[in-house]
Amino acid sequence: MGEQQQMQPDLSFVKGVMASGGETVKKCYQCATCSVVCPLSTNDSPFPRKEMLWTQWGLAGRVSGDVDVWLCHQCGDCTKHCPRDARPGDVLAAIRINAIRYYANPKALADVFNSPGGVVGAVIAAAVLVLIVAAVWSQITGNAFPFPLNHEGKVEYHEFLSVIPIDAMVLPIVAWIIYVSYNGVSRFWNDISKGAGLPESFTGTYPKPSIGLLLSKYLGPAVMEILSHSRFKKCGQTAERARGHLLLLWSFIILFAVTNYVFIAEDLFHAALGLISKVTPLPLYHPVKLAANVGGIMLIAGILMVKSMRTQKTEEGVLTSAAPDWVLIWLIFAVGATGIGAEVLRLINIAPIAYPVYILHLATIIVLFLSLPYGKFGHLIYRTTAYVFQRWADDVKAGKAGFGLEKAVGAAH
Amino acid sequence: MAKIGVYIYTGDGIAEAVDVEGLIKVATKSGAAVAKSHADLYSPEGVAMVKQDIEAEGLTAISLVGMSPRYEYKTFDFPGVYLDKTGIRELVAWSHRIDPSDEKADSKKEHVQELAEDYIRMAVTKLQKVQMPTPDKLEAPNTRILVIGGGVTGMTAALEAAEAGYEVTIVERTGELGGYGMQVRKQIPVGPDYSSLVNPVAPSLIEKIKSNSKITVKTETEIARIYGAPGKYRVSLKAAGTKSEWDAPVPLTPEEKLDANGKELSAEDQKKVYAAKNEGRNDYMVEDANGELFGAVILAAGWKPAIPADGEYPHLAWGNPNVLTNHQFEQLAKSGKLKRPSDGKEIKTVAFVQSPGGLNDDADFPYASAVTTMVSLKQAKYVREDYPEDGKAYVLYQHMRTPGQYEYFYKGLQDDAGIFLSKGAVTAVKDNGAGGLTVTVEKTLLGDNIALDVDVVVLATGMLPATKDEAVVNLAYRQGPAFRDLDLFGGYCDSNFICFPYETRRTGIYAAGPVRRTMTIEESMEDAAGAALKAIQAVKAAEEGHAVHPRTWDFDYPDFYFQRCTQCKRCTEECPFGALDDDEKGTPKPNPTRCRRCGTCMGACPERIIGFKDYNIDVVGSMIKSIEVPDDDEDKLRMVIFACENDAYPALDMAAAKGLGWSPLPRIIPVRCLGSVNVAWIKDAMSSGLDGVLLLGCKFGDDYQCHFVKGSELADRRMANVAETIKSLGMEPERVKLAQIAIDEYDKVPGVIDAFVEEIVGMGPNPFKGF
Repeated sequence: MGEQQQMQPDLSFVKGVMASGGETVKKCYQCATCSVVCPLSTNDSPFPRKEMLWTQWGLAGRVSGDVDVWLCHQCGDCTKHCPRDARPGDVLAAIRINAIRYYANPKALADVFNSPGGVVGAVIAAAVLVLIVAAVWSQITGNAFPFPLNHEGKVEYHEFLSVIPIDAMVLPIVAWIIYVSYNGVSRFWNDISKGAGLPESFTGTYPKPSIGLLLSKYLGPAVMEILSHSRFKKCGQTAERARGHLLLLWSFIILFAVTNYVFIAEDLFHAALGLISKVTPLPLYHPVKLAANVGGIMLIAGILMVKSMRTQKTEEGVLTSAAPDWVLIWLIFAVGATGIGAEVLRLINIAPIAYPVYILHLATIIVLFLSLPYGKFGHLIYRTTAYVFQRWADDVKAGKAGFGLEKAVGAAH
Repeated sequence: MAKIGVYIYTGDGIAEAVDVEGLIKVATKSGAAVAKSHADLYSPEGVAMVKQDIEAEGLTAISLVGMSPRYEYKTFDFPGVYLDKTGIRELVAWSHRIDPSDEKADSKKEHVQELAEDYIRMAVTKLQKVQMPTPDKLEAPNTRILVIGGGVTGMTAALEAAEAGYEVTIVERTGELGGYGMQVRKQIPVGPDYSSLVNPVAPSLIEKIKSNSKITVKTETEIARIYGAPGKYRVSLKAAGTKSEWDAPVPLTPEEKLDANGKELSAEDQKKVYAAKNEGRNDYMVEDANGELFGAVILAAGWKPAIPADGEYPHLAWGNPNVLTNHQFEQLAKSGKLKRPSDGKEIKTVAFVQSPGGLNDDADFPYASAVTTMVSLKQAKYVREDYPEDGKAYVLYQHMRTPGQYEYFYKGLQDDAGIFLSKGAVTAVKDNGAGGLTVTVEKTLLGDNIALDVDVVVLATGMLPATKDEAVVNLAYRQGPAFRDLDLFGGYCDSNFICFPYETRRTGIYAAGPVRRTMTIEESMEDAAGAALKAIQAVKAAEEGHAVHPRTWDFDYPDFYFQRCTQCKRCTEECPFGALDDDEKGTPKPNPTRCRRCGTCMGACPERIIGFKDYNIDVVGSMIKSIEVPDDDEDKLRMVIFACENDAYPALDMAAAKGLGWSPLPRIIPVRCLGSVNVAWIKDAMSSGLDGVLLLGCKFGDDYQCHFVKGSELADRRMANVAETIKSLGMEPERVKLAQIAIDEYDKVPGVIDAFVEEIVGMGPNPFKGF
């Protein structure tokens, strides 16, 4: 008799996956058609058959330690060819939502950020927060509230909320997001290292690449792959989805860059250090402003493409969309729409509408990024981690990662 | 003397293949009073032509030469006129096509013409020899139907028969109706929604039975003996569990006929042993005047749960109070919410074990089946019903058997989050020290060897048919009280249930439900309806004097010329249906309503005293002798093929229809069953100068396909004996051969014939040719 594993199937895990878009998981009867037709599956560790079985059996630990879940892009090829309508692509999507929740802290926030009601509530709460901060700020600046105009009699958001209160409000939130995300990613890294059979140290931790190596050898290539969407584009049934997603990704990068430009120029050099004069609002011909506007339009276009492809593929039955999918789409759309709206309204100077839209813009951005370690948006960090880990694990197993680990891996098998 | 009309159909390529005028001349020369051809013989014009001849010429027998006899020709049924058919369309025209550009076309055509002429000679000869069958109708046959077993199957059969207007008596051994159907908590669904179980049907059936005036119920009652035959069974009943003078006597087993040294006992000694064995029982030929009369019997005796013996399955911890059979678990579920036998704790986790063999053997438990698989799924659902929050059921299988629509049931239950399925070998069940059990499963779908902690283990043990250990029907028949066991079906009431569901090897007795194969309750009900119809048919057949399936049109029955009977008992022993009883001396006593007209007795009889009016030793022997045998032409050897009309002959028809052909040398004679082929016919063939004999019959052995169970197998045994005789005459025993042909082997049968012909040609002519 070989070694045996004590099994403690976790019924609540099965029920959780079934309740969040994976209600078909139990239909699988292990023919492995899915793993064969999957364009992204690897020879060494084919998926999604094993994930289906593990989920059926409530083996939460194995599923959470499975990096392959994050290499899946819900192409729908498996779902299309499944003879039992078990819809593996949708099940893996549900598993990912559950995994994000598993690594989130506190978990209740995951429920908030994955439900439409929760997100609307969060946006309202954030808007109220912005309003309160703005009201307090108006007491300090003596500006009119809630519709301040600048000396030219025009809408200027700086008058309403300058960078200092915004930073005072946003930076702690960013710190929180980074803390929770780092915590989640670390646990995720440990779990997938264990799942991949990487050697464990005596202290119970798993090897990690050094920062230098991480950036140069693993994160760099992973990011390059993500930037080209070369893997997503391999999808058979839903390859078109990659186009909108790619546009969206680039818009995020552009908007992230311009936001940072403004943060550094305005917040740091102007407001904090007083090295330069006030830079915002940037004139329309300013290259950064141009980039920001292009980014904003790309964001709206990208999210609309993503939405229409998802709608179409859902109608075709290739994939099923759960609440977290639509929540994320509408949230990003809201960010884009309020951003463009706030700018246009500012330019045409309609204060009573411009300021509320601006408030909503700030609120939706806060909620979007706050949902990073909690909602579907978290795929940004976990999938990227998975891409990195896949390269790392290959090297460790091949003995190319240093540490003499190849012996340990060999011994484990 | 018969006045014979021969009518040759010339359509469908027959006129092109043969010289029809020549055939008409042969018919006339052979003795036909009228011989004609018609291009559209089977049309109303053809019928009118024949009818006119019958009226004008006083024909007493007609032969339609053309389409295969397997087609219906009801329009040619004229009262008092014997109708026979010869299929020269298939046996000549279609199977012997000649390419006009063939160099040897002329000589081939000659062969084909001679073939057709022989078929005409055989047809006329047959009509000269046959007599018109007269039905043997029972006077006032009894039409009541006896149902043995008051479970769901028996109750359904009774209700179906009663609704068709027949009086029914149910005999039930226990004190209550309902059988196992009353012992289950829930039943398997047979319609949507397939994911939930349904309430038992038995209570409503009991209500219907009680309110049906045509149905009598006798509980705590058993069958002592069933005497007689369909339409006139005399049934002696007795209180359950008691002995009776009317208990059916049991014949000696082959072992009991031997002495201590293994030598066969003398007839006298055998009688003594038999008398001792059956002491206190009346002879099987004695009728109980107080017995009740019935026309037909439905056996619905059901099954009993298999319980492993003490000490069996030690690796599965059989004997531990928390290791249960599926039957015990059902009782637990029936009694209320699931509680562990050892300590009354709630049963939250259960492992259902389908296959006991561990790594060595993937077989399920003995007598397990698709039904026990589905029972495991059903019982898994009990766990989920009782504990929806945290109840877990593991179904560990080597085979997941959910046939037909039950696949939906499997899918429905598979969808339940708390039902965990995996193929695997259960290698150990051990007490886990915490009141429960640890189940070790190897080679699982999960890829690992796993250990599961459970409260209870349920073994998917089998369902033993009621006929496994006892006769139940207790027939007062010469061949014994039980169905004659073929040792093929493990005690299930044996019949070829794929071809002939409900049929047993005892005409008039129809089995339904799990006594003949494992079935779910729903399948049993469907089965019961079928068996009820068969029972009604048997009663009707007795009333009208014809055979039951598969020769339902047959009003004839075997005649015995008893003056020449030597009491050799071959017919009484070999009859596959136990139709023949016998007297003290061993003279057979026919029971026409038990007979299925296969002719096995005729084939068996060494004295040739058994025959039918239109199918007997003389009829077929004369047909053989009517074949013209050229004694000076080595190219024109002649063989006869006896082709079983149930499988081999249809295969020939199909081969011909598909354009396949075979050698023109053999002549084909359809026979009811190879079991009816008497060695006299082989001798007739060899002595009239034919060069070989081929018997084409059904497959025999474990997967036998014989309509009469043993016919082709018996023929094979008889031919082995014939081979000795032929050898002693200085001839090659290979001149007589038997080949097994399944009905769908039309593509194979021409090859079988041609290979045989080639072999005979290789041997050269019969040395007795011309003598």
